[in-house]
Amino acid sequence: MTAAAADNTNIKSLAPEAMPKSESQAEIVFRRFRRHKLAMAASILLFFILLVSLFAKEVAPYGPTEIEVGNSFAAPFSPASDPARPMHYFGTDHLGRDYFSRIIYAARISLSVSVIVTLGSVIIGSLIGAISGYYGGLVDDVLQRTVEFLLTVPTLPILLILSSILLQAPETIPVPQFLINLVGLFMYIQPREAQQVIMVIIVLMAFGWLGIARLMRGMVLSLKNQDFVEAARALGVSDSSIIARHLIPNAFAPIIVNASLDLSGYIILEAALSFLGLGIQDPTPTWGNMLAFTQSYMFSHPWLPLIPGLPIFITALTFNFIGDGLRDALDPRLKL
Amino acid sequence: MTNYLLRRSFQLLLVLLLSSAVTYGLLMIAPGGPLTGLRQQQQSSTRQIDEQDIARIRARFELDLYLPFRFTRWLAGWPTGPVTLFGQTYLSDFQVGCYIPVEESVRQPDGRYAIRYKGCSDFVTLVELVGRRTSSGVLFGDFGDSWGILRDRPVSTLLVSRLPYTLQLIGLATLISLVIGVPLGVFSAVRQYSIFDYIVTTLAFMGSAMPTFFFGIVLILVFGILFKRAGWVYLPPGDAVAVRDYVVPLLGEVSKGSLKDVVLHLIMPTSVLVFVSIAGWSRFVRASMLEVLRQDYVRTARAKGLLERVVVAKHALRNALIPFVTVAVFTIPGLFGGAIITETVFNWPGMGRLFFDSLGRNDYPVSMAVLLISAFLTVVATLVGDVLYIIVDPRIKLT
Repeated sequence: MTAAAADNTNIKSLAPEAMPKSESQAEIVFRRFRRHKLAMAASILLFFILLVSLFAKEVAPYGPTEIEVGNSFAAPFSPASDPARPMHYFGTDHLGRDYFSRIIYAARISLSVSVIVTLGSVIIGSLIGAISGYYGGLVDDVLQRTVEFLLTVPTLPILLILSSILLQAPETIPVPQFLINLVGLFMYIQPREAQQVIMVIIVLMAFGWLGIARLMRGMVLSLKNQDFVEAARALGVSDSSIIARHLIPNAFAPIIVNASLDLSGYIILEAALSFLGLGIQDPTPTWGNMLAFTQSYMFSHPWLPLIPGLPIFITALTFNFIGDGLRDALDPRLKL
Repeated sequence: MTNYLLRRSFQLLLVLLLSSAVTYGLLMIAPGGPLTGLRQQQQSSTRQIDEQDIARIRARFELDLYLPFRFTRWLAGWPTGPVTLFGQTYLSDFQVGCYIPVEESVRQPDGRYAIRYKGCSDFVTLVELVGRRTSSGVLFGDFGDSWGILRDRPVSTLLVSRLPYTLQLIGLATLISLVIGVPLGVFSAVRQYSIFDYIVTTLAFMGSAMPTFFFGIVLILVFGILFKRAGWVYLPPGDAVAVRDYVVPLLGEVSKGSLKDVVLHLIMPTSVLVFVSIAGWSRFVRASMLEVLRQDYVRTARAKGLLERVVVAKHALRNALIPFVTVAVFTIPGLFGGAIITETVFNWPGMGRLFFDSLGRNDYPVSMAVLLISAFLTVVATLVGDVLYIIVDPRIKLT
């Protein structure tokens, strides 16, 4: 044993260039991902956006709801009325709140909402899809009919109805207080506003898991009759750990691709709900509700809509490119 | 085939019934409604509105009936009174609702007051439904009366007045985006990884990342505001037709309601919808075209020495459009339902904005009508898609 190990090191040290380079799965995927130039650029940009939103409190010169009285609609790069304070890089809004700071805090909220919704939908969707595909029979029938039924319902109208109900009566769905406090603490908002954010997350998740469930069911159906699952079953592995340890991890590549494209969709959907006034409401900054306000003032201040609008577009675009890059990197059929 | 069609139609009918019940229930438990303002007035001291007034108004909007009966009356106009069998009436004392509920306001732990239902002092029985004004039921084409937007007028009047605008906008946008999007998808699949493909792909990603509300606002900003200020040809930023005549540089005087006026108003909302949906169509056609181009029969066709043009148009494209057909039918419900966000941004008086307004004003009969017709059309589109799939693809067997 020791001799063999010694031999190994000997060979390696004798001719390191002759050894076949061993690559882990992750390294292969990363190498392939790097070839997608736009996806790489998007990842770097996204990393930057994440960094800024993570350190929102340190980066933003003003508080998200801090009002500078008498200095509303300041132009971009105009100085604050108090010369000791930093200048307003993006100007101020109709109440004199600093746009630059609000955009940063909004990034934190919008990004966390879409990440939480995506994670939640992936967990719920993959579990339901895997159970439905693995057990088949009555369970499958019931779950699939439910999914099909929900897919025939027009999504945006129902989302609008749901959020109008939940915003007016948030106590319909009881949320534990510590969760509300946690969200409030993380997003730097009051508990009452945090409850609103949680409602929007629930509304978006209500339909979010459907696509993932269908995808996972299809993957599990094709995986469950393969030899390695048969072998696991023969070894006496329980159903639940076959699903959790063997089926879901093997079906995960398309789910990851889908999830990264979904992220872009949720950024837009959350912004759309807030834009229509049925999402997260005003004192809480989100890109969507800031854009909605600029619409009323755009005739006198035409540059205003670009300030909250461009971040939505850019972030959604980066998620799209990253999703595309991941698809190319994870698809073994595609030779790059 | 007939058997299959019958079974599918039955299934879909069931789905439709279920979905209308769910949405009806959702809207009815939604807070707000025609009574909200009255309750506030009840508390004011100048104009007293008593219990009886509120009860009368509740009864007029059928809000005093229990939800299941409200639903069946909305759906089929039933029950309208006691059950009559062989000249004998039954169940005339059956309680279907509560005319005057007993309510108390309870102080919540957070200091707010909530009205809690305690009991009922005057029940509505079946016999009391006789002679009450009612719609003949959605199943028979009567959507009832509007609660707010066009109070006491039939919902159908409202729908008929809005439908032409939506058909105009969505029809035009769908047509243009199909005419542009499908060829783009085909060409970028045939020339995969060419510069053309990269440009189309990037544009498609931009289209799917561009929220319609932001794109709409940017268009208004550029073509509606900045162009007007610069004295160039500008486009009117909202509505479907102008209220009064206006002058556009180069185009001269535009009279309200003229063809020129309509076209000028259509350009921006149509472009928004076209840009966003071209992205979807071209990606879809490209993916399905790439799948087909990899098939053996395409290689065979090439090996036979056929012209590339013939291979693409005759062998590949026809097969690539099979899955496309099933997706394209889903434009049908969109033609009716409109585009909620785009119509809101451009103040377009179509169905999408009607739905949005009806939600905001708690005009639930209108919301229900729009939702139900959309759901019906979605179901029909699903069926049509399935049948078309069987017709165009002989490999599919009926199950």
